[in-house]
Amino acid sequence: MRRILIAVPTLFILFLLQSYLWVPTYEEQTRGNPERLGEYIEGSIGDAQILNPILSADSASSAIESKVFEGLIDRDEDLNFRGRLATHWEIFEEAYFYLNDRASIPNVGKANFNGTIRFLRDAIRSRRDRDDRVSRSLSNIEKIEALPARIFEVSKQEKGAGREAVEVRIRAEAPPRIRLILRNVDQDLFDHLSTLLGRDYFSSFDGARFIQVHPDAFSGKRSSYAQEFLPATEHNPVIVFHLRPNVKFHDGHDFDAEDVKFTYEAIMNQRNLSPRESDYKPIKTVEVIDPLTVRIVYKELYSPALSTWGMGILPAHLLNSGALREEARRRGRDPDKFTLRQSEFSRRPLGCGPFRFREWRSDQYIVLEHFEDYWEGSPNYKRYTFRIVPDLLTQEMEFYAGTVDSYGVQPHQVARLGKDPTYQSFSGLSFGYTYIGYNMRREPFKDRRVRKALGMAIDVDKIIKYVLYGQGERITGPFVKQTDYYNHAIDPLPYDPEGALRLLAEVGWNKGPEGWLERDGKRLQFTLITNQGNNLRKAILSIAQDSWKNIGIDVRTDVLEWAVFIQERVNKLDFDALILGWAMGIEPDLYQIWHSSQTGPNQLNFVAFRNDEADDLIIKIRQEYDHDRQVQYCRRLHEIIAKEQPYTFLYVGKWTAVLDKRIVIMDVDPDGQKRYSPIKPTKTGNYTFYFNKWIKLEVPRIAMEG
Amino acid sequence: MGAFLARSAIQKFITLFFVSIISFLIIHLAPGEPSQIDPLNPKFTQEVLERFRKEFHLDKPLHVQYLYFYRDLLTGKSVSWKDNRPVLRKIYERFLNSLPLFILGTLITWTLSFPVGIHAAIRRGSFYDRSTTFLAYLLISIPSFFFAYMLIIFVVTHFHVPVIGMETFGISSKGWHFLMDRVWHLLLPSVLFAAGGIAVLSRYVRNQMLEVEGQDYVRTAKAKGLPPDKVHYKHALRNALLPFVTMFGLILPGLLGGSIIIESIFSWPGMGRMAYEAILARDYPLILSVNFISAILVLVGTFISDLLYMVVDPRIRL
Repeated sequence: MRRILIAVPTLFILFLLQSYLWVPTYEEQTRGNPERLGEYIEGSIGDAQILNPILSADSASSAIESKVFEGLIDRDEDLNFRGRLATHWEIFEEAYFYLNDRASIPNVGKANFNGTIRFLRDAIRSRRDRDDRVSRSLSNIEKIEALPARIFEVSKQEKGAGREAVEVRIRAEAPPRIRLILRNVDQDLFDHLSTLLGRDYFSSFDGARFIQVHPDAFSGKRSSYAQEFLPATEHNPVIVFHLRPNVKFHDGHDFDAEDVKFTYEAIMNQRNLSPRESDYKPIKTVEVIDPLTVRIVYKELYSPALSTWGMGILPAHLLNSGALREEARRRGRDPDKFTLRQSEFSRRPLGCGPFRFREWRSDQYIVLEHFEDYWEGSPNYKRYTFRIVPDLLTQEMEFYAGTVDSYGVQPHQVARLGKDPTYQSFSGLSFGYTYIGYNMRREPFKDRRVRKALGMAIDVDKIIKYVLYGQGERITGPFVKQTDYYNHAIDPLPYDPEGALRLLAEVGWNKGPEGWLERDGKRLQFTLITNQGNNLRKAILSIAQDSWKNIGIDVRTDVLEWAVFIQERVNKLDFDALILGWAMGIEPDLYQIWHSSQTGPNQLNFVAFRNDEADDLIIKIRQEYDHDRQVQYCRRLHEIIAKEQPYTFLYVGKWTAVLDKRIVIMDVDPDGQKRYSPIKPTKTGNYTFYFNKWIKLEVPRIAMEG
Repeated sequence: MGAFLARSAIQKFITLFFVSIISFLIIHLAPGEPSQIDPLNPKFTQEVLERFRKEFHLDKPLHVQYLYFYRDLLTGKSVSWKDNRPVLRKIYERFLNSLPLFILGTLITWTLSFPVGIHAAIRRGSFYDRSTTFLAYLLISIPSFFFAYMLIIFVVTHFHVPVIGMETFGISSKGWHFLMDRVWHLLLPSVLFAAGGIAVLSRYVRNQMLEVEGQDYVRTAKAKGLPPDKVHYKHALRNALLPFVTMFGLILPGLLGGSIIIESIFSWPGMGRMAYEAILARDYPLILSVNFISAILVLVGTFISDLLYMVVDPRIRL
């Protein structure tokens, strides 16, 4: 018995230990494996969730999707749009207005249909006499078309008195309409036309008198229906995409305009619950003109529209309703309840991007292989592997060992690896910023001077130096710092506690007997909150509290669990001041975060920033298709926000990356000659821009060093 | 016997019912929403958020949600909100990954604890006894992540072989090589998995042995002049084993447990990591299913313990 008790565990452990003899060493996996050079392995902390570009919302999924799928356009090194699946595109506008037979046109009087058109034609011919802006709008008109009166009926679902659904029928006898084809989108068109047609020509148009509503109970809503179905004026921007010929999906099927239309319809199909739906809501129609031309008409001016076509295009032939029903039947599911979300497609995606999907083992790895028939030429790397290593330390060890090519490197690790000649490192500004937001519904934040004083009391440069180890830059407004929307003429708030005290004294806050700032016997006191789980924010919380205490402000702090923080405090607008961050897109659309209509509970302008000029600019930026004018509006808006200080803008962080120095860019000349060049980040700091041309060499190229 | 079984089964069903209610309430009353519903994303309009809530039945009262959930779970239709895959299949996949770790960990724990504990009891107070006591307390008090890092760094820097993952990354060999590679990757995590268990279990074994060694019949056996090995390993050990038989049943729930820390450090795609990520993403169907199945395992485990005890101990007849 005794012998058994000792022999069994000993033999058992010996058996386990001998397995060591059979394991390939790191050396055999990397140097000893020539195929390793053709494979790029990216380490990631988390696994992808769902590999369908219209459904996913996590960064791991989009990293894979960007390789497997391709959009119509993307952005080049300078952040300008460039064609991918589309070779080129045109943007113009169709503008409509109804003939207003009750309004009188200056110097003409009441005019009928033909009279109005003749008047406009004359105006265009004699436009040189007019003021600059009006004449610009007029010369932009390419064509004037007359649309005769028509009668149409629409129906709409409404809630009845007892909350039951009622179908309301709306019959409209629409008056004649005029269509203006514009060369460029012009948001000021009707403003400018009204200087010719009379100031109230458009505003006095009463659509309600052309509308009949059944049942009568809903007649009260006539004017709102008129707004919806008979608007006096209408801007319809149009984008026409010309698609690249001979592009193939990974299964060899040709890509064409139907796929674009299908992708749009899949996003808008409410059963798919696409998180990107709001981007495509302004679309009126997507028409297939021919297999290589798509025409997209928008209901309203929405300039971020173009960028949304960077969305990966889905293969219609695999996912249309017939294919989905077939899959449902095969898998024994109810075909009526089977949507894109249930489809196995999201586990083995197929697009027309540079890499094709091969294998996904949950929480282990995702393997992609280069696509030989990629239209821009197959990537140099044969394989792209997304390896999930949830622990940062083991990630670093695998990186050193050579079984991971890139990983989420931390700033302090870069400092260490940067000196090592076998690695190259990159860093750049990220697209997001951290701020302290003040609830402007509450005292003392109602006064701009108080907000400014609070910002001046904090030494942001020190925060960047000591909390971020220098991996950050100051930011003064809500735009991405690398874009030209950002106004570089605005200086950050100076660190000036004395100045802060002077400003606060102006508002009436003076030092009391106990050293605290007081006004009418009340102490300057508030609570600063942030969320649990972000150590940077926690550090800033303490620094802000301390800085403010130094000038005599009694600040309490609170760190809350994320869900409580959002649901109970931010969404219910129950806070004094908070520390939070925004991730930004390149598009300068600030509507949700800064417009005064978005200040309610559950909305994102939770600090209640209200400014009429800013509201106006936000709308104008959204409606402006001309880049230079957009830049001009953005810079002015930036100025207003920086002056009002609704937030104390703190910093924008930097990302860092480290790669083996043997990874380089390889170009192949037409005569087959290979040329190597080192990886250089683009102006905006994107070092993976030329990823498809990367390759790993066996030995570092000494000529390139230095 | 039959009456006991029936009574016990009914009791366990009632317990299970309450467990299902309480776990459901705890998860739904905790703040937070599924990660698909992201209120701070400017792209999400209220309308879209409402549609998500409706899809997940979150707009319904709690008792209705409860019925929906358990109906779906029991008919096998429940899907994870994160990726729409059937919950039971996800759990089964992870269960298969965790199973070898669990088996090996348990084997190491049980095969090592007994010799260590028995030896310490026989040589009570000796240097060996004191050093194993010290080692046991050390193993219990070192945080497992620290121990894991130390082990990994030691193995990687001295032997230059990979230790994380279920197998060497990108391995292409088949057969014996592949099997041994798997075993090697199992070794470290299961040693860590077992470390705490050995420390605790060997203490139990030692105390149990000591108690039995002090009994009259052991003294009688010794007085009869039986060889010491026979006294210790036949007379004492057999009686000391009794309580451990019942512990076998209690291992069962560990099947679904897994260890978040060890699985994360070793990139092991096991149950613990999946459950942890589900909790972070508020993937209610997955969390509740894991919870429900573990509850069943706990109840089945205790039931088995009761039965085993009846079988091995003739004094207990209910």
